[in-house]
Amino acid sequence: MPETTIPPPPVVARPSKPVSESLLNEKWDRCLSSLLIRSSLGLSFGVVFSVLLFKRRAWPALVGLGFGAGRAYEECNSSFLRTNKEGVRIQRP
Amino acid sequence: MLRASLRSCRALAYKPSAASPGHQWHTTQEILGGSANLRGYANNTKANASDLKPAVPRGSAIQTSPQRPPPSTSGPTPATPSSTSPISPGSVPPTPPPTSSSSPPPPSPKPKKRRIRRFITTLLLLTTLGFGGGIYYSSINDNFHDFFTEYVPFGEDAVLYFEEREFRKRFPSIGNRSTRPRDTGDRVKIPSQSGVSWRVAEDTRHANATKPGGPKPTETLQTPSKSPEAKSLDQVQAAETVKDTTPVPSTGKPNSPAKSVEIQQAPNPGHPVLEEAPAPKSPEPVSFAPPEVDQPSIFPPEVTRIDPLNIKDANEPLAQDLVKILNDIIAVVNADGSNAKFSSTIGKAKNELSKVGVKIQALKAEAQKDAEAKIMSEKEDFDRAARELIRRVEVEMAQQQSQWQEEYQNERQKIQQAYEEKLEAEIDRANQVNEQRLRNELLEQAVEMKQKFIAEVKDHVEEERNSRLGKLTDLSKTVNDLEKLATDWNSVIDANLKTQHLHVAVEAVRANLEKSQMPRPFTRELAALKEIASDDAVVNAAIASINPTAYQRGIPSSAQLIDRFRRVAQEVRKASLLPEDAGVASHASSYLLSKVLFKKKGLATGDDVESILTRAETYLEEGYLDGAAREMNGLKGWAKTISRDWLGDVRKVLEVQQALDVIATEARLESLRVE
Repeated sequence: MPETTIPPPPVVARPSKPVSESLLNEKWDRCLSSLLIRSSLGLSFGVVFSVLLFKRRAWPALVGLGFGAGRAYEECNSSFLRTNKEGVRIQRP
Repeated sequence: MLRASLRSCRALAYKPSAASPGHQWHTTQEILGGSANLRGYANNTKANASDLKPAVPRGSAIQTSPQRPPPSTSGPTPATPSSTSPISPGSVPPTPPPTSSSSPPPPSPKPKKRRIRRFITTLLLLTTLGFGGGIYYSSINDNFHDFFTEYVPFGEDAVLYFEEREFRKRFPSIGNRSTRPRDTGDRVKIPSQSGVSWRVAEDTRHANATKPGGPKPTETLQTPSKSPEAKSLDQVQAAETVKDTTPVPSTGKPNSPAKSVEIQQAPNPGHPVLEEAPAPKSPEPVSFAPPEVDQPSIFPPEVTRIDPLNIKDANEPLAQDLVKILNDIIAVVNADGSNAKFSSTIGKAKNELSKVGVKIQALKAEAQKDAEAKIMSEKEDFDRAARELIRRVEVEMAQQQSQWQEEYQNERQKIQQAYEEKLEAEIDRANQVNEQRLRNELLEQAVEMKQKFIAEVKDHVEEERNSRLGKLTDLSKTVNDLEKLATDWNSVIDANLKTQHLHVAVEAVRANLEKSQMPRPFTRELAALKEIASDDAVVNAAIASINPTAYQRGIPSSAQLIDRFRRVAQEVRKASLLPEDAGVASHASSYLLSKVLFKKKGLATGDDVESILTRAETYLEEGYLDGAAREMNGLKGWAKTISRDWLGDVRKVLEVQQALDVIATEARLESLRVE
């Protein structure tokens, strides 16, 4: 991801509100991080389940990964859809 | 009726007991049939029970039933022998009860006689008691009184008698007057002399002379009773006598004395003294029976009487007095009835009197003659004196007239003189006043003229002075104009300075904007500019149009803008292929596919994002910021949102540039205007 690493203009320090051109990039960042975290969480849960219940089968771990990735994808999608809409503004913590 | 209804009810009640149950239908029919049958039943039952009463129709039974007591006291039922009946035994012819009672058999005479006597006595007692009671009660009750007096024989008389007695007892004084009951039916005897009869006219004259003493005219007249009628009569007569005596002397008619005498005699019977005299002294043996009322009138036998004296000259007072005296005497004699005795002497006296009358006449005539002669002479004397008096008065009057005329003339002259003097004085005064007034007017005119002259002089002086002063004012005006010009020049210079300052300020701002590598706030420069153009509306408006954030934070330079545009364009290109509602997948695909897009150059035609971006870039490179901004404004969707910040920057820069341009032109205009 070379684009995300582009440093923002140093002089204009506006931490509260992002510049308009970096809106999409920020979204992509969030999406990717959430995907990583959720999928890893799901994978870990699946591994635990597979170890404890399913005699170390592979598929529970894969299912868990899928769950996590799916959830992240859903969130990301909704965020993209929401922002595009006019008149609706979502403030995230 | 009550009884009848009861009976019918009883019949109804009896019926079922009397009749057998099998006959019920029959009985009902009978009931429907009528009450006559029912009564028959009832009567029959009763008759069976006791044979006391025969079947009689109802109404008659009630009236004739012997047990019934008579209906109270409603009417005088003649059949019932009431104890209070005032029938006296004498008046009533054979009463039935005695006859019936007397009829009993005569075997025992003594006891019968005794019984009869006792019966009669009791009857008498009862009747008398009843009569007495009736009288007494009739005095109390009016209704009974009427009844008693009407129906009972001798009842009325008895009641009246008792009433009269009571009345007299109560009012003894009134009772004396009318001793007899008013309408007892006795014949009223009116004495033949009393009342009105055809003889009334003569009676006054003849009664005194003719009646010997037997029949007195009336009770009222004879006795000087205190009854009011008699008294009033007396008074009337007295008044008449007075009235008649007085006019006698005044009336000069020849027949008046006779009349007067007659009148004087006429009232005599009213007079008690005169009346008493003739009554006993009527010597006439002639027995004159006064005719009864119904008999024709008869004149009483005439009596030779001495005529009263009649003298011609009755208006002579002396003679009249004498005549009156004599007439009185004659009247006395006449009344005395001894005419024969005195007739000769009275005749002599009459002659003497007539002679005296003649003498008096003669004397009177003589005296009259003398008086006339005297009067004539007196009249002549008076005439003469009057004439003399008139003459004297005339002379005197003439004298007085002449004197008065003289006096009048003198007075007139005096008055005329006085008036003339007064008039002269008046005229003098009027003249003086007039002159004075004229003089005053003259003086006034002089004063006026003087004033006019002074005014004219003043006007002339003023004119001259004004001409000089006008020149002076012109001079001062020119000086003022010069001063104004100088000041104008000063103002022009000031304005020039101002515009120069403005120019400088604008240039300073512009330089600040251009020079700076980083965006810097230029508030101070703007404030200075505003101060310089303090009251310039255009400059103020231009400054107001600038966004406050622009001069507070500063605006980026053109180089910075281009740099930023390049970055924004990269991002925009990434999102250039996004559909309307783009999810993650479309974003990812757009991101990937935008990498393989061909790049355009120059002023590309088309509405797609790539061509717009290239056009904006070329405009930017040419330094045409406005066009670049317009192009970027035409983007849509994600592309626009991404380029929003850059657009804002560009707008701010453009605003500032525009404002500065406006101010610069304003300054140039100012400098041009000053020229």
